[in-house]
Amino acid sequence: MAAIDSTRVLEPEQKAPIGWEGQSLAEMLAASESMFEQTGHYHGLRELAMKDSDPLHFEKLFSRVRGGMVTARETALNISASPIVRELGEICFALYTPEGDNVALSTGIIVHVHTMSEAIKFMVRNGWEDNPEIRPGDIFANNQPTIGDVHNADVQTFVPIFNPERPEELLGWAGGVIHVMDIGATTPGGVPVGPTTRFDDGIDLHCMKIGENDTIAAWHNKRVSMQSRAPGLYLLDERTRLAGCHMIRDAVERLVLEEGEEPFKVFMREAIEDGRRDFKSRVRGLLVPGRYRSAGFTEAKYANKMNLPKRAQRDLIIHGAYEAVVDRDGRWTTDLRGSSAWGWHSFNATPSAQQGMQWILFTQTLICNDKINDGAYYATELLLTEGSWADLGEAPCSSSFPWMPMFTTSTGYLRAVSRALQSRGYIEEIVSTYTVPGNVAQGGGLDQYGQISGFMNFEIGAQGQGAKYVLDGLDYGAAVFNPEGDMGDIEMWELVKPMVYLGRRIKPNTGGWGRHRGGSSFETLLLVNGTQDFEIENIGTGGMLTSPGLFGGYPAPSAYVHNVFGSDIFEQAAAGKAYPVGDVSGEEALMNSFAGEHQLEQDPYTMMIAVKTGDLYLSSGRGGGGLGDPLLRSDERIEEDIAGGHIQPRWADRAYGRAGREGVVKQRLERARPASEWWTEQRQRIFNQELIETVKVMYAESMRLEPGWAAEFRGFWDLPEDFDFDVVTPTVVAQRAAPGKVLPEDSVREFLAGSEVFLPGEQVEVPVTTTVTKETLADLLDEKLSRRAVKEIQSGIKDPDRFGKWLELLQARVDYDDVIVLPYGEGMNIVRRRSDGELVIRTDAGADLCRWDQNWKMQVPMLVRDSDDLYEEIYPKLGHPDGDWQELREFYCPVSGRLLETEAVPPGYPVLHEYLPDIVGFYKGWLGTDVPA
Amino acid sequence: MLAIDAGGTMTDTFIVDDEGNFIVGKAQTTPQDESVGLMMSAEDAMRQWDSTPEQAFPKIQSAVFSGTAMLNRLLTRKGRRVGVLVTAGQEDSLQMERGIQTYLGFSYADRLHIATHFHNDPLVPRERVHGVRGRVDLFGNEVLPLRDEDARVGVNALLDDGVEGIVISLIFSYRNPAHEQRVREIVEEEKAKRSLNGEVPVFVSSELYPSRRDFPRLNTTVIEAYAAEPSRGTLRAVRDRTKERGAAFELRVMASHGGTISIDADQLATTLVSGPIGGVVGARWLADRIDLNNVLCTDIGGTSFDIALLTGKRYEVTTTPDMAKFLLNMPLVQIDSVGSGCGSFVRIDPNARRPEIGPDSAGAMIGTAYPEGGVETASITDLNLVLGRLNPEYFLGGQVQLDIERARHEVKRQVADPLGLGVEEAAAGVIELFETSLRNEAVGRILGKGYSPADYTLLCYGGGGPLHVAGYTKGVPYQQVLVPEWAAGFSAFGCACADFEYRFDRQVDLPLLPSAPDEEKVQMGGLLTQAWRSLEDRVRDEFGKSGYAAEEVSFTHMVRMQYYGQLVDIEVDAPKPAIESIEDINELIETFETTYTRMYARAASSPELGYLVAQAIVKGSVPIEQPTLPTMPRESGSPPVKETREVWWDEGYAQTDIYEMDDVRNGHTIEGPAVLEAESTTFPIPPDRRAWLDEHGIFHLENKEA
Repeated sequence: MAAIDSTRVLEPEQKAPIGWEGQSLAEMLAASESMFEQTGHYHGLRELAMKDSDPLHFEKLFSRVRGGMVTARETALNISASPIVRELGEICFALYTPEGDNVALSTGIIVHVHTMSEAIKFMVRNGWEDNPEIRPGDIFANNQPTIGDVHNADVQTFVPIFNPERPEELLGWAGGVIHVMDIGATTPGGVPVGPTTRFDDGIDLHCMKIGENDTIAAWHNKRVSMQSRAPGLYLLDERTRLAGCHMIRDAVERLVLEEGEEPFKVFMREAIEDGRRDFKSRVRGLLVPGRYRSAGFTEAKYANKMNLPKRAQRDLIIHGAYEAVVDRDGRWTTDLRGSSAWGWHSFNATPSAQQGMQWILFTQTLICNDKINDGAYYATELLLTEGSWADLGEAPCSSSFPWMPMFTTSTGYLRAVSRALQSRGYIEEIVSTYTVPGNVAQGGGLDQYGQISGFMNFEIGAQGQGAKYVLDGLDYGAAVFNPEGDMGDIEMWELVKPMVYLGRRIKPNTGGWGRHRGGSSFETLLLVNGTQDFEIENIGTGGMLTSPGLFGGYPAPSAYVHNVFGSDIFEQAAAGKAYPVGDVSGEEALMNSFAGEHQLEQDPYTMMIAVKTGDLYLSSGRGGGGLGDPLLRSDERIEEDIAGGHIQPRWADRAYGRAGREGVVKQRLERARPASEWWTEQRQRIFNQELIETVKVMYAESMRLEPGWAAEFRGFWDLPEDFDFDVVTPTVVAQRAAPGKVLPEDSVREFLAGSEVFLPGEQVEVPVTTTVTKETLADLLDEKLSRRAVKEIQSGIKDPDRFGKWLELLQARVDYDDVIVLPYGEGMNIVRRRSDGELVIRTDAGADLCRWDQNWKMQVPMLVRDSDDLYEEIYPKLGHPDGDWQELREFYCPVSGRLLETEAVPPGYPVLHEYLPDIVGFYKGWLGTDVPA
Repeated sequence: MLAIDAGGTMTDTFIVDDEGNFIVGKAQTTPQDESVGLMMSAEDAMRQWDSTPEQAFPKIQSAVFSGTAMLNRLLTRKGRRVGVLVTAGQEDSLQMERGIQTYLGFSYADRLHIATHFHNDPLVPRERVHGVRGRVDLFGNEVLPLRDEDARVGVNALLDDGVEGIVISLIFSYRNPAHEQRVREIVEEEKAKRSLNGEVPVFVSSELYPSRRDFPRLNTTVIEAYAAEPSRGTLRAVRDRTKERGAAFELRVMASHGGTISIDADQLATTLVSGPIGGVVGARWLADRIDLNNVLCTDIGGTSFDIALLTGKRYEVTTTPDMAKFLLNMPLVQIDSVGSGCGSFVRIDPNARRPEIGPDSAGAMIGTAYPEGGVETASITDLNLVLGRLNPEYFLGGQVQLDIERARHEVKRQVADPLGLGVEEAAAGVIELFETSLRNEAVGRILGKGYSPADYTLLCYGGGGPLHVAGYTKGVPYQQVLVPEWAAGFSAFGCACADFEYRFDRQVDLPLLPSAPDEEKVQMGGLLTQAWRSLEDRVRDEFGKSGYAAEEVSFTHMVRMQYYGQLVDIEVDAPKPAIESIEDINELIETFETTYTRMYARAASSPELGYLVAQAIVKGSVPIEQPTLPTMPRESGSPPVKETREVWWDEGYAQTDIYEMDDVRNGHTIEGPAVLEAESTTFPIPPDRRAWLDEHGIFHLENKEA
């Protein structure tokens, strides 16, 4: 027995902090945050001393740092085994400051630049420095969305980088992320939809220290091997991330030795502040200050899904309230307050996931250059309601597939940006929407090799995209989550799943109708072959319209499910019959010529369906929303659409009025009612609570979680201050909404009063050599340029004097002399009415709708499609929603009957006041001139 | 030996004699009939030896041609009227493409910038594509029988439509070609009914390009019919023209795998991309002769910076390259291209106030210094002029007069003023930035393989290479930095160095799993050997067309191999031409392991996964003449100084000696600062560097303190 000589020391020795200048990391972070708070500049950097004194050296450093990231990714691609990494590039590397701010990043899934930042800040805030300690050679892993991630399937690796000359000081962090094939959730795949609680979400890593001395611990390898359905790939992916992080560490160490420690530190901070300024400058250069509103809706039909836990068996509409505010010196605020509550499903999101979504959007539009970093984070704000699906807070729900509601909600982003771009004249950038992907095929079981495996079909990476202002939408080409979209080779996909392609063809009637058509998508028909035990699900095949139209374009039709169990395809083929190799449309349903049990319906998520050899599975894709009144589409284009398989002739007749456009205009004006009349009738309906339960619960959740949203809802419908819906909202604590009421005009007044628009200090004039001349702009508008010429304009540096040229061009084309002050969508302008000096919204046909700051939609004739009959005038069967769930509102010019805007929302949704520009702020604050008199 | 490179604007002729002396001729390319430009270019070259093609051609041993006619045919969509038969359900493939084809070749920013993406105009319209029901699976088993009726209807529709060629490409045909063969029979039957025998050629994907990946295979087979087959006529015209002038040589074309093939070869589409390959082939030739194991090849032209690696004297080959926004299915020498070159435009982004270089360039219009070109944006060339590194009087040997004052004015206005810098500081800084990014790209390729630059010799060529080589190698510890005197013509020269060599690849997918018994592995070896034998037959057939007997052909046997379940396969030389025993199998695996760790020094090898032999490859060649490396006598002294002028280096202006490059001899050392000028290139040597010329006409660029 050993003698006890002394009391065991319980207090650990005081260790020296590893931050800069003797600070702990937590102190560094606190100091950084407070400096930003006080000055509005990252790290209080009012001046960029290094950049200003030697701008080219600064750029050279940036180039070298980024070179390190790119090399890391190159290396990783060379050694990776995962198809998701190799074929689809779902990998990214980045460099962070000690307190977790991103300096530079590689190509790849750049969604994660800021999610990894959150994870590092979590370690810093929670004292990882003392426990478990951060030492050279350590390896940390994270995939927890509440800490900093989108969903568990995105697994992150972090390696601390210490000063090569003073190894006691942390210089920064290298981070790498990969979307893994299978995360070991209760249902297989990379985006499992089965989980309803966080306990079902699979492998869970809370910034764990999984290795020391550059080596991953054996326990970790064993643990994840047991927990993933694809352990080999998981382990190789982890090795890949680690190798990449080590490459970054090498690169940084080299740079510090060559450039010196101090300049490198200064560079890291200036690069972020520079990124912040750059973002704001782009906002000022391209957009208009103002308030932009829209909404997105995600449905789940779970009431009949008996394999889900009882409490999850509810039909849902997940409401995503979307407001973007552009103000001050180019600040961008995304406001999702008013969104519905979290629920027992997989579609809940964390703030970190929302940041990821923001990154996707910004980097595809405003800042698609290679010098992106956390500067953009410091230039933007994100407002969420805790306890909503958009910020699940402490709720123990699943967040394995937050993308769906994030996608539908954030279609508002593109609409906001597109409205502003139209006002400024950057028409080459305008896109109506991106597409909410579907069908996502995911499944697993005993495969054609007789092994247990899972797969996810990344064909969703190449769906039709929204229509553009000067072009049709991109057909079957990309996805919002990965602009480098691709649908892959059939011969590659057939290697990974026991299914044979019968067809992969352009799907007609998938792009939304419009002057420009939304991009078409495609359908894939698969024959299950070589397995008796496999399961597969359909995702994104519900009825609700999720890809909105713009400026009078229609939303893209919805998708559907068509599967056949026990088909007679082998018999038909043996008999030499001409069996179908596609379905064409839900109305055609060519697959009906197969015998067998048919599943033909709209269901957003079928859950896993058991299939075996001889069964047929249809994957029907979704297209993009349209842009502009479809009646303005030329006959020539319509004929090309028919010949190219984008639309069937009867839909060309109906949606485009091919049989006679005058008749359609006449019918519009005859059937439409003044919005005010409609409002009176609907107000009574809402007051009487005559909506389906699912819709009422959706409103009640938003109202009970967010009093401000409730007040505006009541204000729009002029309801009593304490109005609420008489329904139970099980995941919201409050069962009555707080009282309050804000009228639309008060909301407008309040916004404009608070919108402070100004230019930051010093502006530098840069001569622009690639001007788009007035003539080129006219050609662009009139669509006389080749696609390559349009691309050159899109890719080039934007001419800062575009607004003036655009106004001049539009003014020359309208029939009135009143001065156009701000273009306000297609076929509408805000003009200074000479007769009374008022700023009014005027259509091209000469109708003055209202004052510039009012919601013009409430002043025009409108039509609401809320029945199958009305929908099927323009949408195919199984291509539109149930009118009780979602109605389509059309707003017309009272003089010409032109379709000016469409809006697809659940019944009772307030008419959206989508675009409220701060005209005075724009002119005085950013242009430095007075609003034209 | 004769090498002809008919580029977009100029046709270069490169002639080497048996002592390694060479001359270069130039003439305008004549796109209508490339043989006209070729003869003018050859005449221009022969004049330098006071000779004519008629006198010289009979003595020429071999001739290699590379042209852009086929690529132009593709780019301008001026190919043949082709019809296509595909697996039913895939009729929209050429319209839908792969999503990746909407942004192939785009800059990083544009790949993110989704609004810029667009589809190609298809080579074959939808109405000339017909589907045939029937499916074969990945194992080669028939899942659904072929429906003859569909093929018959399809081919008749195509023949009614007056097609000039028919492509057949069905899913998994590389695995089991039975359905494609049956469709071909039907096509021939229907042709016969219309007395079209011998007309309307048929292109079968499993015969021409039997590798996995249906879309690139379809693309490549379509391009063979659409653009390559009609180019055969052009090439024959070139051959006939040379024969008329007394040529006894067989005219060959550079193919994507780095060898040359006859203009009668079946896979003519492999000659679509040949230009940049010449340099890499030339580098390998040089590496063999002066014993360089690892070489980093760098080539700067006006619009791009091309990088390739020779590791262990081998270049890498990629099997699904892309060209002109098309994914292809053919072996191509791996060359990475970065979209900035010495003619790239320089702009200051008005938002971020940072310089952007490229991606577009002034091209033949040089920059603002060339007012006749109509270019208003400053280019890298303008910056070099402002700094005195380029001589405005001697640009392209003085053929073009440049206005340096205009360049200076524009560089000040567009670049220096917005940056708040002096003209020279700005120009030098932006060039340094440009060179830094090239340096990162080059070093990145080596680091990406897990090697250090110290393991590699950097070889620089291309018209713009020497101008920037000092900059983009600055501070990097390469073994050596080499600049051949003939850097500007190195790619054409490289073509003359290429073997007469056919290469055929076939997908085999043979697993060698750790759990499998030896007999099974040996059986796999047998299947591999069989595949090699059939590929050898194809090679012999091709050489037969050029009149070579079977026994004159020597073979190299290779595989593409990978860890089982991994996706990166690499090319491995087989240790033996037949794999017959378990010892042979183990030797093959060992060779793979050695090659793998050599290519990816940092990657962990994963033998526990087992292996997959993905493709069998056979290369066959016949002996042909190769250029000799010149050897020049050593001379003492130093070359005469042509003139002196002010040149801006890192520390400011310095009075700098200017030399004519032709005057430098073996043994001469030029101490920086200095500028070497030739008609086709300029080679500045900064103050801290020196360059000496070796006996083979290759400059060695070194640090002074070294």
